[in-house]
Amino acid sequence: MSALASIRDLTVTYRRDGNAVAALRNISLDIVAGERLAIIGESGSGKSTLALAIAGLLPASSAVAGRIEWSGLGRTPLLGRDIGFVFQDPSASLDPVMTIGKQIAEVARTHLGLTWSQAYAKAKTLLERVRLPDPDSALHAFPHQLSGGQKQRVAIAAAIAAGPKLLIADEATSALDTIVQAEIVALIRRLVAEDGMTLLFISHDIALAAELAERIAVFRHGQLVELGATAQIVDAPTQAYTRTLLDAHIGLDAAPLLNRAGLPA
Amino acid sequence: MSLLAVSNLTKHYRRGGKTVIAVDDVSFHIEPGETLALAGPSGSGKSTIARLVLRLIEPDAGAIEFEDNDFLALGGAALRARRARLQTVFQDPLAAFNPRATVAHVLDDPLRIHGIASRSERPHRIAALLERVGLAADLAPRAIHEISGGQRQRVAIARAIATKPSLIVLDEAVSALDVSVRGQILDLLLDLQRQERIAYLFISHDLGVVRAVSHRVILLDAGRIAESGDARAVIDAPQSAIGKALVAAAPRLKRTTQDAS
Ligand SMILES: Nc1ncnc2c1ncn2[C@@H]1O[C@H](COP(=O)(O)OP(=O)(O)O)[C@@H](O)[C@H]1O
Ligand SMILES: Nc1ncnc2c1ncn2[C@@H]1O[C@H](COP(=O)(O)OP(=O)(O)O)[C@@H](O)[C@H]1O
Ligand SMILES: [Mg+2]
Ligand SMILES: [Mg+2]
Repeated sequence: MSALASIRDLTVTYRRDGNAVAALRNISLDIVAGERLAIIGESGSGKSTLALAIAGLLPASSAVAGRIEWSGLGRTPLLGRDIGFVFQDPSASLDPVMTIGKQIAEVARTHLGLTWSQAYAKAKTLLERVRLPDPDSALHAFPHQLSGGQKQRVAIAAAIAAGPKLLIADEATSALDTIVQAEIVALIRRLVAEDGMTLLFISHDIALAAELAERIAVFRHGQLVELGATAQIVDAPTQAYTRTLLDAHIGLDAAPLLNRAGLPA
Repeated sequence: MSLLAVSNLTKHYRRGGKTVIAVDDVSFHIEPGETLALAGPSGSGKSTIARLVLRLIEPDAGAIEFEDNDFLALGGAALRARRARLQTVFQDPLAAFNPRATVAHVLDDPLRIHGIASRSERPHRIAALLERVGLAADLAPRAIHEISGGQRQRVAIARAIATKPSLIVLDEAVSALDVSVRGQILDLLLDLQRQERIAYLFISHDLGVVRAVSHRVILLDAGRIAESGDARAVIDAPQSAIGKALVAAAPRLKRTTQDAS
């Protein structure tokens, strides 16, 4: 169990309208090389802030204390090359006026030193790997011509184009419907396994996180509440808050909330 | 007579020279105090049906009967009066308001527009509505951008019940809420249903939630009804291809030790 990254006493504060918002407080955790780690918590708990801090994407309005050591990488990571980032809204990372092929090729060219024609060949392979229908014509398509799920496949292809060690998916399936979500989760699982990547999977959905991750970290109000193996978090949480989240999940086997008495037949 | 009876509803859209059949020959009914869910993948026509039922858009074919009226034939004052009985709450319902608008302002509108309370009575009505949805009356002067997401959804529900509706269309109304808040909002909706016999057209992509709160469900696929029936019976043993796919894709939390709660 060697750490890809060790986060120590990480505190992130945003400044807004003259006020300081503590988004993360004294977070210490290791991201184990090759693991699938989920970060879960309700909105505002600091999940995205953690992802942005790891990716080096925090806005200038933030103040950071503590440190992130990349012992498993041996160098300061570069976004795109060492870290792939998939956002909730694929449009946020795709250029609307550039063809899909060019966007992916550009990542490969920049970080792998390929020529354009090599980079385009790589882009086509990546579109095949993310199972985009008709990769040849997709190379020349623009983002708006694709469905939400297809755009997310393209965003994933671009994120892994340079062969990063770490893939961060921040609510990457939250805007998709259940069926497409399951397909994208299966895709992420397969790509991470094939390329030996480490996965940081960020989600508000504890059931989804538990299906994919080997370990789960529970965040609340900017603090790490609990971190453990998925089975331990789901079956034997040590913190009351984790239990609250588990109990709030309404699964396909949940007791009906509905009192059927009183309804006319 | 059903509270709402929809027959052979059809809606086409023209997009880029092609015709999209958003809703294709859909028929259903809702009884007083009943929750009928619409579920299906994105693009299956759920929101289009909601907008048709609310008469925000007009169908290409079909009929809608609401409270024994030909709802599509109503116009002017008759339509306005009937609309008070048919309300809606969607995912981020207060987004359309100026964020500086106060809670009181949001609730004052329906009371004024539908002539439900005089100017002097309205502050009391607003306080009572806030209380009804579990909010403190002193929230009234606050701006809607200052209150939490859960509080905003309660205000939206208060706004919807202000006109004493018999049917509320809930289009992904709890989908964006945190799970802890979501449970409270669902409890509130069910409580209102029991107290006031409000019926819901409950639209959600979340089959777990649909199964827990609905009497019956319709599963839609590409604008058509793929399957319908008792919510638990359908979701526990789906027969249609889309039903099977939706159930298979729902994330499962496999807990071996579980509280009785
Ligand atoms: N750019 C920002 N400026 C100011 N406050 C922010 C900014 N981004 C996030 N926050 C605040 O930081 C806290 C954590 O936010 P975030 O990391 O986005 O949480 P999550 O992803 O879990 O919803 C919240 O209180 C949020 O309002
Ligand atoms: N205003 C519109 N113009 C063109 N097409 C539309 C419009 N509204 C909806 N559609 C199309 O109708 C279909 C059904 O959409 P919708 O009712 O929003 O589905 P859902 O709510 O189930 O996701 C989709 O193919 C959608 O793209
Ligand atoms: Mg976030
Ligand atoms: Mg919709």
